[in-house]
Amino acid sequence: MKKRTDKAWYALFVLPLVFIFTTVVIIPFIIGIGYSFFSWDGIGLNPKVFVGLDNYKQLFTDIRFMDSAKHTIIFTVVAIIFINVLGLTFALIVTSELKTRNIARTMLFMPYLIGGLILGYIWKFIFTDAFSKIGEITGWNKIFFNWLLNPNFALAALIIVATWQMAGYIMIIYITGIQGIPGDVIEAARVDGAGFFDTLFRIKFPLIMPSFTICLFMTLSNCFKIFDVNLSLTGGGPSQATEMFAMNIYNEIFSLNHYGYGQAKAILFFIVVGIVTLIQVSITKKREVTMQ
Amino acid sequence: MSGSYKLGKLGKMAGELLFLVICVFYLYPVFIVLINSFKNRAELYENVLALPNELNFKYYAEAMTKMNFTGAFINSFLVTAISITVIVVLSSMTAWMLVRSDGRFSRIIFMVFVSTMLIPFQTLMMPLMQTMGWIRDNLHIPMLNTLGGLIYMNVGFGASMAVFLYHGFVKSIPISLEEAATIDGCSKFGVFWKIVFPMLKPTTVTVMILDVIWIWNDYLLPSLVVSSKALRTIPLSTFSFFGQFTRQWNMAMAGLMLTIIPVIIFYLCAQKYIIKGVAAGAVK
Amino acid sequence: MRKKKIISILLAITLTAGLMVSGCGKASDTAASNKTTEKAATESAADSSGTAATETESAADTVEAAKKIVVFQSKVEIMDQLEALCEEYGKETGVEVEVWGTTGDDYVQQLKIKLSNNQGPTVFSLAPGSESDDLISYLADLGDLSFVKDIAANMADEKDGKVVGIPYTVEGFGVVYNKDLINPAEITTTDAFIQMLKDQKAAGINGFSLSQESYFLIGHILNTPFALQSDPGAFVQQVVNGEVKLQDSEDFQEFARLMEAVRDNTNNPLEITYDRETGDFATGKSASIHQGNWCYGMFADYDVNFDMGIMPLPISGNDKLAVSVPACWYVNSQASEAEQLAGKQFLEWVYTSEIGQKYLIDEFGFIPVLTTMESVSADPLSQSVAEYTAEGKTIGWPMNTYWPAGIVDVNLVPVAEKFFTTDMTGEEFLAELNEAFVTAGK
Repeated sequence: MKKRTDKAWYALFVLPLVFIFTTVVIIPFIIGIGYSFFSWDGIGLNPKVFVGLDNYKQLFTDIRFMDSAKHTIIFTVVAIIFINVLGLTFALIVTSELKTRNIARTMLFMPYLIGGLILGYIWKFIFTDAFSKIGEITGWNKIFFNWLLNPNFALAALIIVATWQMAGYIMIIYITGIQGIPGDVIEAARVDGAGFFDTLFRIKFPLIMPSFTICLFMTLSNCFKIFDVNLSLTGGGPSQATEMFAMNIYNEIFSLNHYGYGQAKAILFFIVVGIVTLIQVSITKKREVTMQ
Repeated sequence: MSGSYKLGKLGKMAGELLFLVICVFYLYPVFIVLINSFKNRAELYENVLALPNELNFKYYAEAMTKMNFTGAFINSFLVTAISITVIVVLSSMTAWMLVRSDGRFSRIIFMVFVSTMLIPFQTLMMPLMQTMGWIRDNLHIPMLNTLGGLIYMNVGFGASMAVFLYHGFVKSIPISLEEAATIDGCSKFGVFWKIVFPMLKPTTVTVMILDVIWIWNDYLLPSLVVSSKALRTIPLSTFSFFGQFTRQWNMAMAGLMLTIIPVIIFYLCAQKYIIKGVAAGAVK
Repeated sequence: MRKKKIISILLAITLTAGLMVSGCGKASDTAASNKTTEKAATESAADSSGTAATETESAADTVEAAKKIVVFQSKVEIMDQLEALCEEYGKETGVEVEVWGTTGDDYVQQLKIKLSNNQGPTVFSLAPGSESDDLISYLADLGDLSFVKDIAANMADEKDGKVVGIPYTVEGFGVVYNKDLINPAEITTTDAFIQMLKDQKAAGINGFSLSQESYFLIGHILNTPFALQSDPGAFVQQVVNGEVKLQDSEDFQEFARLMEAVRDNTNNPLEITYDRETGDFATGKSASIHQGNWCYGMFADYDVNFDMGIMPLPISGNDKLAVSVPACWYVNSQASEAEQLAGKQFLEWVYTSEIGQKYLIDEFGFIPVLTTMESVSADPLSQSVAEYTAEGKTIGWPMNTYWPAGIVDVNLVPVAEKFFTTDMTGEEFLAELNEAFVTAGK
């Protein structure tokens, strides 16, 4: 009897969302997997030809795709570190007793509000004109030159902009985690004579482990999928040096009209990234402390 | 709230000042957007960094007319508010259930939610429109070119992140409270809404903030779902400032300011709850 | 017990999903299964005959035109004026014309998705050439519009001998120059052009400028040597097939020499945006830019104190402007008969009524494409284009007509970026461009 009602409750709580989610995300995704076995240009009335695994075989000889995967991995690894270190630092500062914390919180969060094209335009201007000017004035033209014209520096520019944009966003999640720490725990630690770093590493960090899991994963997924900033800041250039994975797929699907092949790329990447993140999530999950 | 860690008053003030300077520096690109919303093309060309010659709001006025701002604002507001309410209600319920009935099935559902966050939206566009077209044609539910359809899809796409966030924070709620309530005769529904949901408030505020930013600024999904002029949201209504090559930067930047100001106001209001949360935590 | 029920739910979900995949994934019947019910009948009629020509004509007698149509088009710049025109049309005929909007960058991709899922507009725009080839199944025959016979030669988009696209306007590009700084009569060869770059540089002026946007960087300028071939279409095909190499053609060798000179003597185009390029020109810092008559609007906010003109890019002594139709109007052949008819009536009205023509020329600033319409264009660049066109001194736009779809953004830009950031030779540049064509044409 009890089991039966439990099940009903379970369905009542979980099913509505699962249903919506299935129709909006899962079914389209499965259809997408289906298309990855076809050669099709993405236009409704044009013929779709079943090619089996050909699209997937072709992937492994696609140097440009492999390059873009490489850029994406480098970008993601570095950006995740920067974004989380900065986001966590911001979160610790704005939850401290600084008087400026309220205004700071708003300011740090604002970059995320500027999206896409305009963001790229503004930063392009900073890297192109402002950097050259600073270089001229200070004479440090080894550091201050147009970063967007140098393959390595263009990637670095992308990382800086992504960090600038997302640190404030990730900060919000860390704030939630930090404020979830019961005050008496910190107070007790302080009474026991724990210093700033002791409290930070021994008490705060273990207690905000769930936030770490969440933030790492969110930055990971956002960085892997980066598109807008890539398109508007570097456009993948110079000479493909900053072409990320999402842009490569986008070009394949919408510029070159290779719909099926583009889907195959997306699926392969999804599988690889999925495995990596599942490992990451299960590792950090194990370190989480559950409050009883 | 006792004093700071090993920092004198002077050091503390210096720290605050330094942090404020960092913030201002951090905000500089936003400032560039602001000043350039007042310039014409020639001024913009002359120097992007310079202050505008005059503080003339004509581009704002023009942008507001071109965007049909009032109508677009109402649409954006409706879509954002309803989507987020539904996301918060359904996701918190789902996440709580998934944590509390921790079986293989729950774990699978959770993993599916989480892993789909990795799918680039661009690859879902075409099949999503097909699915929605199929629903419209065969089930006669108007999913396309309606705000309702857009809200439905927002809920679907917002579900993953919200479930993920709630899932992470539900764990920090002591299960003993729930057990006590159950013994007192509360149904699961009662337990959730009376005990659990209020405790999830900080997470709810976080979810709301993150989703407001996303839904309010989203361009790609609404551009596929909503075609009619009368249904345009704010980001959609700025389209005419972006030609293929000719971009009307002043209008685009004025439009951007008009788009983000409501979100900033919302954030300032929501902040109160964050601060309350912090304060409450500190007092305890 | 509990597991069973859950499993059954899961099964139901996967089953629905499976059904939908099979419904959408099968090769041949996808189009049929996706069709909206109300449209299905008319569409199958159109499909079975292959072309809807005869049906449309006979249908015109029986089918009543729809009371509402939708227009979706790419030229964001004319949006306000177009809406005003549609309002006029509504007042006159009672037919509501709704204009959908999108940014210039997203337009084609959105159109494709909307057409593919039967939420397409009634009337839409495309660039004639590879873009309209891709969507050929959606293009209705417009041969029965009364003014089609008046469209200037080679300007309408024809597929299989049928007119399917009505041109917007003509646009021309070449070297837009400052008349105070450049005398076009002296610059008729590649060498003269290169000499001009050096002279201007010595005088402290930037002689010529490209900009970083894909077409402005490489698409337009590379168009010229292709257009100079006797049969550009066949030539592109030979390049793609590997039968001909760009580096073996004299025209391309001259092109490469010119590009080397541009790299050595002018600002790096990768650092120049369209806004800066036109700004530099308007303020006299650049003597010339590679642009078209569309850029005149960019000078509106400047006090331009010189006269400007547009001249051909003088590769191999070329004396012709690259002039073509940037976009055409099309009617969606998958819309209902009633909508198609209403769409055609709308186009008919725009191109033949007095008010429609007034809008085309005065409000949209278009160069007339009908022989029956007269040009009154005020801006000097459009005037030049109209003059060159009248004299027949034009070459086409193989970049739209024959180049593989998407090549400019995806394949050519990276090569151009490499050229402008390294010191690769013109020969190597051509070899890489050639390679890009082979890759993209696959």
